[in-house]
Amino acid sequence: MQLIRAIIRPQKTNEVITELLAAGFPAVTKMEVYGRGKQKGIIVGNVQYDEIPKEMVMIVCEDENKDDIIKIIIRTARTGAGNFGDGKIFVSTVSEAYTVSSGKAGL
Amino acid sequence: MKEIIAIIRPNKINTTKRILMENHFPAFTCRSCLGRGKKNADTELVAALMQAGELPRDVIGEHFTEATRLIAKRLFTLVTSDELADKAVKLIIEANQTGNPGDGKIFVCPIEESYRVRDGEAADEVF
Repeated sequence: MQLIRAIIRPQKTNEVITELLAAGFPAVTKMEVYGRGKQKGIIVGNVQYDEIPKEMVMIVCEDENKDDIIKIIIRTARTGAGNFGDGKIFVSTVSEAYTVSSGKAGL
Repeated sequence: MKEIIAIIRPNKINTTKRILMENHFPAFTCRSCLGRGKKNADTELVAALMQAGELPRDVIGEHFTEATRLIAKRLFTLVTSDELADKAVKLIIEANQTGNPGDGKIFVCPIEESYRVRDGEAADEVF
């Protein structure tokens, strides 16, 4: 299983999770995060804003669905060709998953 | 080392904390998040029921028809050694199980390295 963490623009979250639902991936978790990227935040005059609000969308999926989900996120979270600040996606492995209500292993 | 990520009900946090503390897992991180699981309200059915007047047209009912409706949860994270991970998972399940959908999910991920900020010491001595 794979854990996909996408840090995207807050105004794009709704669109992304609606698209994921339409593609058959209903289970998501989102939370507010603050951060900066390679562009060192936004510099306006002498002031550097480096805690830019973003939203993190977390999805755990089977290995074979990973590429589809990443494609959907990239397609919907993009604001145009090559705009800075559209976000990043990180993928890591999950060795086990459990459902609390039944105590069973697996997604 | 293993990282255990549990997404649980907000009102179960105190029970989880107490049970883990009693079993020598004092360290954890917790934050609020929103999410949804595999079970989803059939939006067309809910809309049809509301049209027919069988469901009240209140704020909550309107809310049900939105496809992206998310439920408040707590994201509970703890890092343990490999051999204690199973025990921690069992304790979290025991603390959170009500038998209903929405009790949450637990994910176990491998962690490569860990450091203590205070003295820069690496790896398993942290536990």
